[in-house]
Amino acid sequence: MDVVERSQRWRSGTCPPERRGFFGGLDTITVVTPDNAATRQPAPRRRNGLLWAGGLLIVVALLSNILFFLRLPGQAIFPWLNLALFVVPVVLLVMGLRRAITQPETYRGKAGGWILTALSVLLLAFAVFAFYKSRDIPNAASAPKVGAKAPDFVLPDTSGRSVGLSDLLSMPMDNGAPPKAVLLVFYRGYW
Amino acid sequence: MAEFRNAGVRTAAISVDPPQTSAELCKRAGYTFTFLSDPSREATRRYNLLHRGGGPDGSDIARPAEFLVDSAGIVRWVNFAEDIRVRARAQEMLAAAQSIQ
Repeated sequence: MDVVERSQRWRSGTCPPERRGFFGGLDTITVVTPDNAATRQPAPRRRNGLLWAGGLLIVVALLSNILFFLRLPGQAIFPWLNLALFVVPVVLLVMGLRRAITQPETYRGKAGGWILTALSVLLLAFAVFAFYKSRDIPNAASAPKVGAKAPDFVLPDTSGRSVGLSDLLSMPMDNGAPPKAVLLVFYRGYW
Repeated sequence: MAEFRNAGVRTAAISVDPPQTSAELCKRAGYTFTFLSDPSREATRRYNLLHRGGGPDGSDIARPAEFLVDSAGIVRWVNFAEDIRVRARAQEMLAAAQSIQ
């Protein structure tokens, strides 16, 4: 059958189900020559679902980390569930890769498997790096603790005026009274 | 931030950014509380919060931390972020602020 006939068959729904995947079966075209046209059926090739699921799950894990887990209330939450979300795709990837190597005929060949895995691993490496990097901060063991006297300081404000902790504590607020407390927020800057 | 003000709490943010940068940040983000600059890292060092080489260009910056200091200058509540991507929770800070009354 020629290409036109193939595409007509596909549209009319008579194409075998394994050829009507994401790429409309185009990825499974085998060269049909007059001598093998009648006898040879292409081996059914399937998408390596494990690799796709693994890669996809890594993306999901990354997004959930940024959009959900980092916004959970309370601090010092070690994101265990999030970590599990990263472990599962690794298992899927290993299984999928094994399948791609041992059954290349069925699962699109080794190259495809490797490419998909490499992309997933790259994403994973990025996630691990970001996780490590953002927690790589010195501990605050020697910082002032609850009940300690807050160390004084004098620093310029945005208009260059010198402001000390004692000024922050004593300067009247809008209601004319000095504040009950001062919230000092040390932040990383470079915004 | 108005809630903090209503609770009688003055907020002051401290970073190593020069005043100019902080002024621009305030303008851009509409912040009305005090921003203090610590270019010499003096205050950051005094609070033992220096993160050596933590800045994007390898400079020393402050590790994120929040202190609630009462009118007698005593620290009443602290929060040290463990992950720089996790921002301090306004609700937590406010609860701490209100407990001082």
